[in-house]
Amino acid sequence: MAEPAATELVVVIDDEYAMRLSCGKILAKMGLRAETFEDGTHGLEGVSRLKPDLVVVDLKMPGVSGMEVISRVHQIDPRIVIVVITGYATIDTAVEAMKCGAYDFLPKPFAPDELRLIVNRGLERRRLAQEAQRHEMERAILTRRFVTFVSHQLRTPLVAVHQYLNVMKQVEQSPATRQEWIGRCLTRIEELQNLISDWLTLARVESGTLSQERIRVDLSQLIPVIVETYRESAAGERVSLESRMPEAGLPVRGDRNCLTVLFDNLITNAIKYNRPDGKVTVTGSLSGGDVVVRVADNGIGIPEKELPYLFGEFFRVKDESAKKATGTGLGLHISKKIAVEMGGTIEVESQVGVGSVFSVRLPAAVEAETPLEAQNKCGSRKES
Amino acid sequence: MSAKVLLIDDDSDFRAAVRSLLESHGYKVLEAASGHEGLRMVTQHKPDVILVDIMMETTVEGYGITHSLKYGDEYAEFRNVPVFMVSSIEESPDERFPMSAEVEMIRPDRYLTKPLDIPAFLRLLDQAVGATKGAMA
Repeated sequence: MAEPAATELVVVIDDEYAMRLSCGKILAKMGLRAETFEDGTHGLEGVSRLKPDLVVVDLKMPGVSGMEVISRVHQIDPRIVIVVITGYATIDTAVEAMKCGAYDFLPKPFAPDELRLIVNRGLERRRLAQEAQRHEMERAILTRRFVTFVSHQLRTPLVAVHQYLNVMKQVEQSPATRQEWIGRCLTRIEELQNLISDWLTLARVESGTLSQERIRVDLSQLIPVIVETYRESAAGERVSLESRMPEAGLPVRGDRNCLTVLFDNLITNAIKYNRPDGKVTVTGSLSGGDVVVRVADNGIGIPEKELPYLFGEFFRVKDESAKKATGTGLGLHISKKIAVEMGGTIEVESQVGVGSVFSVRLPAAVEAETPLEAQNKCGSRKES
Repeated sequence: MSAKVLLIDDDSDFRAAVRSLLESHGYKVLEAASGHEGLRMVTQHKPDVILVDIMMETTVEGYGITHSLKYGDEYAEFRNVPVFMVSSIEESPDERFPMSAEVEMIRPDRYLTKPLDIPAFLRLLDQAVGATKGAMA
């Protein structure tokens, strides 16, 4: 429920003195501020001066009619909630008033409880509308910041390449420098390409298109395939890889490409944020109806204060030894989205200088594979 | 003596390209990869012009540096060193930080867009250095 504002203000416009008096008393007892006016002209003047939260207006008044008051109040501020008071004879007019934008109507005579109920409902509606408006503004600010951030992320590598080429064009460089700069340009272009492809994956995960297909995938077969893909490049960094999978298999239901992306990110991170002669161990197990995969490294570790931001967009560990790492900052964010989408979790334990362990828990597939799946199984390979 | 330009930017490629450009035009170039390092180098090496990136992935970024230089007591002797702020984002920083009074407080001498327009950049630098040297004479 929305929080009530400081003290809400209700304006009552009615030509009957007794009505103004009793409404004023009831509203004051509700802890609201109330101002009363005897006709439309004074009432509208009061509304534009006081900017009330809610207006109670009698439809049948001499001079400016209640119907006109409704439209003029909404010209002053469309967010003001209007309740109309009407006699039995004018119930059709009440419906008409609601078509004009009144929130609700009170047929005369009404009991104090009826007034209280309808005013409370009207004010609640206004609070919700205000809250929605606040959310909308917050969302607009977040979107704006996000766009700025993304355009900065995309432009940074592009600017570096552009600046190199610009300077090369203006200033004669030695062949060695030229060679080095061309190499740097290629690296930065690759960085840009990785960023774009991660973005696309993220967009696909978010739109749900990647996770619609839920087939039975045995992680004890998929993960060793991913590990093999990186064995050579990891050896170049002097990092050794090992995967330990149970004989019984690790069946889950999900999209093969998504699962590949999920573990690919964890394994490449474990290699990237490692140290020379470091080790990456991927262990699979079944635990109480869940498949658990742990990716452990003995690399640089993650400072405790950075752990809460780890799965956010564009997070990268800021560390001297992580300087060589050129990730997009989206990998873990994507992995987490995929795990959550599949009804699972990712958790991390880490100690600086000791290493990190990422544990993925996914619901195990209980039902047997369909004949079609069994048929496809022999042809199943990493497809990214 | 050649004028000293301090480059504060966390992108080593951008620094390498600008360093080469400036050195070929007779400037002495100093580099810092973070805001903290940049401020340390200001007091240590007393640059004639400072070029600082607005959005850096470090705790002290462009506006933090400009603010320190303009208001920090320990940087009093560097108040008149021209500060050029650079960013790859083309919209004006006033738009991105809609808090005019505060932006006014930390307004640098120039906003430049990355990649730098080389002839314009060299011209501005030349003017800035000339003005500082002139004021000192």
